[in-house]
Amino acid sequence: MKVSWFHLMPYRYLPRDFQDEYRSVWVDVPSELYDPLLGHELYNEYLDELEHADSVGFDGICINEHHNNAYGIMPSPNIPAATLTRRTSDAAIIVLGNSLALYNPPIRVAEEFAMLDCISGGRLVAGFPVGTSMDTNFAYGQNPATLRDKYYEAHDLVIKAWTEPEPFAFNGNYTQSRYVNIWPRPIQKPHPPIWIPGGGSLETWDWTARMNYVYCYLSYSGYKRGIEVMNGFWKEMENLGVDDNPYRAGFLQLVCVSESDEKAEEEYGEHVDYFYKKCLHVFEGFAEAPGYRTIKTLKAGNVKQMGARANQERQALSWNDFKEQGYIIAGSPKTVVSELRKAAEGLRVGHLMVLLQIGSMPKDLTIKNTELFASQVMPHIQDMWSEYEDHWWPQPIPNRQVAGESISNGTLT
Amino acid sequence: MSGYHTVEVDVRGIHATVRRKGKGEPLLYLHGAYGYEGWPEFLDLLSESFTVFSPIQPGFLDAEGIEKINDIYDLVLFHLDLIESLDLKTPAIVGHHFGAMVAAELAAVCSHNIGKLVLANPAGFWIDDDPGLDYFIVPSYEIRDYLLADPQDPSNSHILPSAGDEDEHAAQVINNVRALSTVAKFLWPVPDKGLSRRITRVRSETLVITGDKDPIVPITHGAKALCNIKNAEHLTLRDAGHLAMLEKPNEFVSSVKEFLSL
Repeated sequence: MKVSWFHLMPYRYLPRDFQDEYRSVWVDVPSELYDPLLGHELYNEYLDELEHADSVGFDGICINEHHNNAYGIMPSPNIPAATLTRRTSDAAIIVLGNSLALYNPPIRVAEEFAMLDCISGGRLVAGFPVGTSMDTNFAYGQNPATLRDKYYEAHDLVIKAWTEPEPFAFNGNYTQSRYVNIWPRPIQKPHPPIWIPGGGSLETWDWTARMNYVYCYLSYSGYKRGIEVMNGFWKEMENLGVDDNPYRAGFLQLVCVSESDEKAEEEYGEHVDYFYKKCLHVFEGFAEAPGYRTIKTLKAGNVKQMGARANQERQALSWNDFKEQGYIIAGSPKTVVSELRKAAEGLRVGHLMVLLQIGSMPKDLTIKNTELFASQVMPHIQDMWSEYEDHWWPQPIPNRQVAGESISNGTLT
Repeated sequence: MSGYHTVEVDVRGIHATVRRKGKGEPLLYLHGAYGYEGWPEFLDLLSESFTVFSPIQPGFLDAEGIEKINDIYDLVLFHLDLIESLDLKTPAIVGHHFGAMVAAELAAVCSHNIGKLVLANPAGFWIDDDPGLDYFIVPSYEIRDYLLADPQDPSNSHILPSAGDEDEHAAQVINNVRALSTVAKFLWPVPDKGLSRRITRVRSETLVITGDKDPIVPITHGAKALCNIKNAEHLTLRDAGHLAMLEKPNEFVSSVKEFLSL
């Protein structure tokens, strides 16, 4: 199993009474709550944490894109990705990802991902989320009625831009260009592996299977509920005649490791609380613009993670509830290994992403969590699914350069 | 009430269901984002003097074809074709909110095919300092409070009543999402798509009606419509909200009739 370290880059300094005084952490969260000097510290702290994850042996490091929010201060993931390409050497750089419909033209994504693939020596995973409704419809003004259509068109354009050797004209409904001909081109051929983060919609499952991409279920409701959703995913794969290679799937899990189960609560409790009660405090009206989800998905009874009901349910949860319901996997290394194996088996995921910096968690505790995980958990779970081949992992070149090591003698040409 | 007939027409490949009732000159009613279901009293009152045609527009309820209508231009052509399919000669058009925007767009393109215009709480305008309520973010269980001047008034209890059971509620939510998604297709995220430029072409005599208690379309929006049309008057209904024609059917209809029969 591949294990990757995922950063959301939350704003750690929301006021104690944030969820009572403000209606939403997303879209119209007042900017007076953001202090750029603290932002300076946070970005450097968070980039250190991602680099540290590479140095202690995580298979990949993950970042993502969000707008107008204190949940994750990463409007442009390609900026941290660029610094990581230079300051890390081995980990896959998993950008989960660029919300394609937000780029005009989306050719920009093909170019920037190609740059990242070249700078990193072929370590890039290209993630293409539709993006949350808060990000796409409300913060970026994209039309909910046409968002998905625009997303699929942008996807087709990016793939063609990476793979078509000759300049070509693109006549889309949302993008037109007479001369698509990107420089640079990605190192990985035909293109970097593509992962699709999703929230459980049937259409996305079918499309991901058809395109032979990785489907990543990014849920904060934990693995126990995740198993129900992923059972549906695997059943759909079977219906579609697609094999059950676990590397087709990814899952994100919050994990807290400490010396003992009791100490985990003592150390991590307040930060988990901050995450669930502040970082996910989204006003219901922003959770889903009309048309953001298809009528088919609505009729299938998709469960919302955001919005009033989900907020209310979470407000009442205690550390033990979070643990028992699988929102978090927390405790001694032994406890965490046992639960994570159970989770990965139940979910049947080959790409496990772990959130080890959670909510307001400071750097020293994040480093501790990361080191304990890397030394005492990771070695006991990486053997999983070894009988399967991961066709969706980057294929970097062998002699890669990083910051300060540039040698330009043309040997790679 | 009711007793309307339905007319099924093919509009260049889009199937449309049009409710029809009454005698006299043709009157086309174009509904808005809310209050489009059934055959409400105000349509019945209008049908005493006019032959009322009330289509379910594409993308509302079970009406199909919204995927073939991509922009305002397509929307205008669809409605011109609809008028042709129904064989209506210079019909008066009464539009509410989204439907009023469509009516104004139609009249801007070809006033000679359109009779008089009534624009009730019209969508399509934007004023930076007075944008109106962002109804797209109001949870479905709260929206009724914003649509009526007096949501508690027992005489309004028949307007957008709560669902009887869970299935009915689910169906209501789906219909609401479908309707708003359709409106969003043309009005998201800011409802200024150039109508205030085009509306200067409108030659039809126009009555703009605004409810003084409509938070969605402030009176200033009606005034903006008015000042750009050569031949227009503005009526503000007192103690009327966004669904003024449902709340105040008698006042609404008498104003419309008076204007249309001038």
